[in-house]
Amino acid sequence: MALTEKHRPVRAPDRGRRTGPPGPRRRARRPGMLPWAMLAPALAALLLIQGYPLLRLLTLSTREFGPRSLFTGQSDFIGLDNFTRIFTDADFLAVLLRTVVFTLVCVTLLMVLGFLISHLLMTISPWARVVTTVCLVLVWAMPMVAATLVWQWMFQPQYGVANWLLTQLRVFGDMSVYDWFSHPTQALGLIILLTVWKGLPFVALTLFAARGQISESLYEAARLDGAGTLQMFRHITIPIMRPVLAILTILEVIWSVNSFTPIWVLTQGGPDGATTTLGVYAYITAFSRNEYGSGASVAVVTVVILALFSVAYVRRLSRQGDVV
Amino acid sequence: MSATKTSPGTPARRRRSVNNTIAMAVSAVMVFPVYWMVATALKERSDILSAVPKFIPWPISLENFTRALDKPGFWTFVRNSLTVTVSSVVLSLVISLFAAIAIARFRFAGRKAVLTVLVLVQMVPAAAMVIPVYLMLRSVGGLDFLPGLVFTYMTFVLPFTIWTLRGFVDGVPVELEEAALVDGCGRFQMYVRVLLPLLMPGIVATSIFAFVNAWDDYIFAYVIMKSQDNYTLPVWLVSFKTSESVDYGAMIAASTIFSIPVLVFFLLVQRRLVGGMTSGAVKG
Repeated sequence: MALTEKHRPVRAPDRGRRTGPPGPRRRARRPGMLPWAMLAPALAALLLIQGYPLLRLLTLSTREFGPRSLFTGQSDFIGLDNFTRIFTDADFLAVLLRTVVFTLVCVTLLMVLGFLISHLLMTISPWARVVTTVCLVLVWAMPMVAATLVWQWMFQPQYGVANWLLTQLRVFGDMSVYDWFSHPTQALGLIILLTVWKGLPFVALTLFAARGQISESLYEAARLDGAGTLQMFRHITIPIMRPVLAILTILEVIWSVNSFTPIWVLTQGGPDGATTTLGVYAYITAFSRNEYGSGASVAVVTVVILALFSVAYVRRLSRQGDVV
Repeated sequence: MSATKTSPGTPARRRRSVNNTIAMAVSAVMVFPVYWMVATALKERSDILSAVPKFIPWPISLENFTRALDKPGFWTFVRNSLTVTVSSVVLSLVISLFAAIAIARFRFAGRKAVLTVLVLVQMVPAAAMVIPVYLMLRSVGGLDFLPGLVFTYMTFVLPFTIWTLRGFVDGVPVELEEAALVDGCGRFQMYVRVLLPLLMPGIVATSIFAFVNAWDDYIFAYVIMKSQDNYTLPVWLVSFKTSESVDYGAMIAASTIFSIPVLVFFLLVQRRLVGGMTSGAVKG
């Protein structure tokens, strides 16, 4: 779950960089087997519940594993058939495309709005900053399951507050019984809205914290030189914050591609599959159609796509010296 | 842009009050769904299903909460959720503390490999792992069995908790430990008496992370737990929605009960939450 949920509270204060040789503070004697003994429980758990399932996922994707296999434990090796099947399946290609669009829209909105809010936080009075931060933290803390149910309630056709408000605006006409979840684009729009709303505090607060570390004197110097706000964005804020922006973008991409709870709870991927993205599609293929092999191949494709982003992430971390 | 340099009536001051207004509007929009959850939960039943929504829940009624609490099995689901969450938090903390100390305090062959593996494992999306974890638990009879869920949650947070705690251990001077050892403290005693208290902020941070992950997980609990006796709160909450006629009042009240612990938790430690994650990135 480490990457599906948006609650990674803290990375430790940055005291752990070791790019050079071991410093004088490191104990010089030979540790022997002790560190491995201390690592053993963690490594065993990771091997058993991450390593093994990952291998299982790979082998599963090359097998015809249907409902019967569940009981017999037997499944036929079919090579890459699952992959050729899904890549010639119009459904899957639509899902893939939809996931890309969904991710692009979510991540773009998150990054742009998050950046604007973080900038706003820098330019307001302390009391306003406290109020805004508290509001953002409340949204961040909201469990996804609860947030999704609140969404369901707010956009309920007859009694939901959203339809009432939209009707009052008199722009869209009478929305009083409008069923959002039966229209493909609108349903996907609501899911995007939920994802962006729920994810925004994390992005905005992280960027705000990063922005706070940039020395004010840089901006003062720029101002003396006659730079405007946009120029300061372009030449100071964005270049200095590029590592944070990159990490956030990559994390948000991974989270969006894997989004499951909001979609599954709000629409179950419907109407007529119109809100199904990769995470939901893998689930439906495996657990609703009982085609576990085929579902596994969808998951493998997802992992491979995300691995490309992960490589970028690891590269970024190692450039910062976090990976020893 | 800093607070001290503005005086009344200047353009800077005016710009600031415009920004304050924008910030309040943004806050209001952002926090509205949270407010709406609590407000709906506190309304009378007749005020919930009304054509014109009532924005202030008055008269306040706890009827929705009592209806939610009276649903069959409510306390079982609370107990399941608490058991699973607390055990996975405690287990992952103990395991990752040992691992973090090993990585931070010892130089050994393979250390770099362990670190790389941790980063890579973190990249594996949990949603993709549902299928093999389900089949694995199925083959060892671990379906519909709370410990199966505990081990799953525990392992999925390990990379992050180890990584984070390692940073905190790094921040504690080795000299403190050496002094304790010289004073005749055993190694284990030294860890408990010297290192542990100094790691408290890190432990709080990682346990919140592990807590929220387990508390809020829907997909694994939904796939692994089949009998209603073993439902956790998220699975139960969602089942409200799929019942014949949705009781919105009780559903939202139950969501409120479910959210309150996390909301309070976050507000208490918000200062520590914000910004730790990328604190070093800018300087680099």
